[in-house]
Amino acid sequence: DIPLPEGETSPPAPPLKQVLEMQCSFLLLTQSDNSLLSIDYSLSLLSHRFVSGLINQGKVEAFEKMLWRVCKGYTIVTYAELDEPLEDPETGEVIKWYVFLISFWGEQIGHKVKKICDCYHCHVYPYPNTAEERKEIQEGLNTRIQDLYTVLHKTEDYLRQVLCKAAESVYSHVIQVKKMKAIYHMLNMCSFDVTNKCLIAEVWCPEADLHDLRRALEQGSRESGATIPSFMNTIPTKETPPTLIRTNKFTEGFQNIVDAYGVGSYREVNPALFTIITFPFLFAVMFGDFGHGFVMFLFALLLVLNENHPRLNQSQEIMRMFFNGRYILLLMGLFSVYTGLIYNDCFSKSVNLFGSGWNVSAMYSSSHAPAEHSRVLQLDPSVPGVFQGPYPLGIDPIWNLATNRLTFLNSFKMKMSVILGIIHMTFGVILGIFNHLHFRKKFNIYLVSVPELLFMLCIFGYLIFMIVYKWLVYSAETSRVAPSILIEFINMFLFPASETNGLYSGQEHVQRLLLVVTALSVPVLFLGKPLFLLWLHNGRSCFGVSRVSTSLHVCLWGASGFNFGEILMTQVIHSIEYCLGCISNTASYLRLWALSLAHAQLSDVLWTMLVRVGLRVDTTYGVLLLLPVIALFAVLTIFILLIMEGLSAFLHAIRLHWVEFQNKFYVGAGTKFVPFSFRLLSSKFSDDVA
Amino acid sequence: MLEGAEFYFNVDHGYLEGLVRGCKASLLTQQDYINLVQCETLEDVKIHLQTTDYGNFLANQTNPLTVSKIDTEMRKKLCREFEYFWNHSLEPLSTFFTYMTCSYMIDNVILLMNGALQKKSVKEILVKCHPLGRFTEMEAVNIAETPSDLFNAVLVETPLAPFFQDCMSENTLDELNIELLRNKLYKSYLEAFYKFCKNHGDVTAEIMCPILEFEADRRAFIITLNSFGTELSKDDRETLYPTCGKLYPEGLRLLAQAEDFEQMRRVADHYGVYKPLFEAVGDGSGGKTLEDVFYEREVQMNVLAFNRQFHYGVFYAYTKLKEQEMRNIVWIAECTSQRHRTKINSYIPIV
Repeated sequence: DIPLPEGETSPPAPPLKQVLEMQCSFLLLTQSDNSLLSIDYSLSLLSHRFVSGLINQGKVEAFEKMLWRVCKGYTIVTYAELDEPLEDPETGEVIKWYVFLISFWGEQIGHKVKKICDCYHCHVYPYPNTAEERKEIQEGLNTRIQDLYTVLHKTEDYLRQVLCKAAESVYSHVIQVKKMKAIYHMLNMCSFDVTNKCLIAEVWCPEADLHDLRRALEQGSRESGATIPSFMNTIPTKETPPTLIRTNKFTEGFQNIVDAYGVGSYREVNPALFTIITFPFLFAVMFGDFGHGFVMFLFALLLVLNENHPRLNQSQEIMRMFFNGRYILLLMGLFSVYTGLIYNDCFSKSVNLFGSGWNVSAMYSSSHAPAEHSRVLQLDPSVPGVFQGPYPLGIDPIWNLATNRLTFLNSFKMKMSVILGIIHMTFGVILGIFNHLHFRKKFNIYLVSVPELLFMLCIFGYLIFMIVYKWLVYSAETSRVAPSILIEFINMFLFPASETNGLYSGQEHVQRLLLVVTALSVPVLFLGKPLFLLWLHNGRSCFGVSRVSTSLHVCLWGASGFNFGEILMTQVIHSIEYCLGCISNTASYLRLWALSLAHAQLSDVLWTMLVRVGLRVDTTYGVLLLLPVIALFAVLTIFILLIMEGLSAFLHAIRLHWVEFQNKFYVGAGTKFVPFSFRLLSSKFSDDVA
Repeated sequence: MLEGAEFYFNVDHGYLEGLVRGCKASLLTQQDYINLVQCETLEDVKIHLQTTDYGNFLANQTNPLTVSKIDTEMRKKLCREFEYFWNHSLEPLSTFFTYMTCSYMIDNVILLMNGALQKKSVKEILVKCHPLGRFTEMEAVNIAETPSDLFNAVLVETPLAPFFQDCMSENTLDELNIELLRNKLYKSYLEAFYKFCKNHGDVTAEIMCPILEFEADRRAFIITLNSFGTELSKDDRETLYPTCGKLYPEGLRLLAQAEDFEQMRRVADHYGVYKPLFEAVGDGSGGKTLEDVFYEREVQMNVLAFNRQFHYGVFYAYTKLKEQEMRNIVWIAECTSQRHRTKINSYIPIV
């Protein structure tokens, strides 16, 4: 629609108008000078000529010199720099240009000047002799430039309008194109049927969605008006289907933690369900601090409440990570509040909610009154009135003042870690039983799971029993005669000659029995399964369980051959791993204690180094000092204790789940079910443009 | 130059010397030539060249491929390398490079003047000019009508200016005068270059002087050979001989008197260096031409230049070897494209 200017579409690089303007200004300059004025007049009488043009900045000097030499000074050259740099039409480089005007007289010199101009690649423009003509040309050019500007302007306007309109719909177009591309990509995977007239797609579909699928196919063929309706058949297959675990926004994060280890095999027990509680709990055991937990909880709550906010949805990198794990964070925060209450830790300080169960004054009134000069007072719970009963929830706040607080807490946290760990692992083994039940490998229960359980419980279960027993049986009065659990536990294996008191009567016999059971379960674990399979393979008719074993045999070995050595090897390796793992994994749970200790100590250090210093200054300046101190405290708390320590505890919790818990039952050798969905397409426009 | 300059040589020129030795290693080998000779078409030649260090230098060329396109691209490549050396060089190596380009500049000036004489357009001839000898004022050469004009107007600021002292005359520039001008320019150029190398001393002088002496003598022989049967007088002829060669002075005087090839050969017999060369020249159709023999000798000297270290001769030698290689490729390509395979093997091997 836009009329294009006729003739040359792209005018030569330097605009003529500018050249002419320059030339006029030169003339004015020359005319203003009196001495030159007369020359100019005399020149005009001698019919002098002009050559005008543009020259590259770098060549100006050489050009002038050559002109001088060749024409023996019979030329007058005037220069001026162009205001704006222009593009060199040959190289495309943007450089500075000079306008020159050469006045000369005589034909011969004229030829030479022209040749020199050619030699230096100058753009030469016609230069009429009379001022009127020059003016005329300038006016003509001016109008042409005006025309060109209007044309350009209009074109630009028009283009902008077109682009604006296009921009309005570009987003939806991009999405359409993406969807179409995805559909064609899917169609490319389909195969032709025999008649080459329709496509056959073999897909996995969740059984629960079959009905929806059928309806969608019907609707699709009805709406597209196809002559042959699309239909669906279920095909029996022996292939293992991909694993689909439906998640919602709450369970998704936990499922991701499990999937990062390995996608579950088809219909295997999914540990994600239990992870929802155990993961935040184990984290909280390490992170246990009421205050820190509450801050984390608030942060997560903020994310959860604003989860529909578009900026959060499209956030990048670290923020995205936090956003995806917001429900994990929420639970981690909540559980940390709980464990913080149990540890009675709030920013490393204890909170006296219910009033301490210890009474200091009773200690003085009693006969055991300490010496006056002693800096440390030992509270003896066996003295009447000193210990009035346990604190209702968690650790008594008076421990915060005690010098032996760390010793007390360490003993408590260590035992707690071991108990939690063993329960966690035992639970893992029990989950294995469900796997065996589902996969119809009942023999695995008797030959693998039960020995495993016995091994674990007879050693470490007994350890827990001893811990709890000691807690319950020995009181403040009898604590001095309480035997060490460590010694007892070691003695259980060593059968020492010297007779110790023991925890209870008959302890020796119980321990012997447990050891025998443990010792018996090991060979069963090592050889039970391989021998049973060998027996099945060779002579299953010997006993009356042939019916079961036939089906077993078929489903286990199918067409492939029976390799006893391989099975034995696998089972031996698995057993060794398990037996050694029981010990090392139990030790590994001690990280619960270590990290919780580290966290408590770090927050304690932060408090002593900062806030306590601020609080010690006298009241007048204290306020001034406290403000920056508290600010620093807050920043360090967030970065070191919440983010760094939190990350560390998070990683350790993950490790406890992946290694200690999941290797007891979880194979994780499945493939994820990735259905075709438009939702998985990237909805971002920028990705494509970039 | 200081004694023991080799101790300091690497400070200024070590990088470039290393570079040029690397470049020399990329010259075509005997095996490459054997492969090239077996090519059936120019496309084959191109493919073979791609496997060498020339790489994809012909990638942007549109079909059909011609020999001149290959030649131009090869020249461009050499020119790029040379300019890299030149731009990274320090004095006095850069002066040495300037001297090297002068010979190409002389050729270009003469070419342009010849073109102007035949009323050809400047652009047409510019394409034929050697890129190493390009300079800005070059295109204005055709303004001049006499050599002094040429000097005053065009060449006074170029490195060629000093060579003009001997050939300032008011003669009009006809074909013969241009040829005389070329030879005079070349004579003073060679002498100046020789002097420069001699003054530089050291290994550079030891290497470059023999090469330049040979070059001077070769010119003397060629001038003599070309002047047979022309109107050039013997005295004039003698003024054209470069005086820095081994033939100077007696040999040149004898050469000036020579009237045919036999007499020339007799002059050469007095010199142990040139005797075997003239003996190698075959008579009639079968053997090598004098030019080829000279080229072979040149290649030999240039290759030997690489045996010494810490001197500028390697740059000269590399450029000359590369030129020879280009001539060889062009020869092979010409033979291939014209299906004239009988003479394809008479390229000058660079060993």
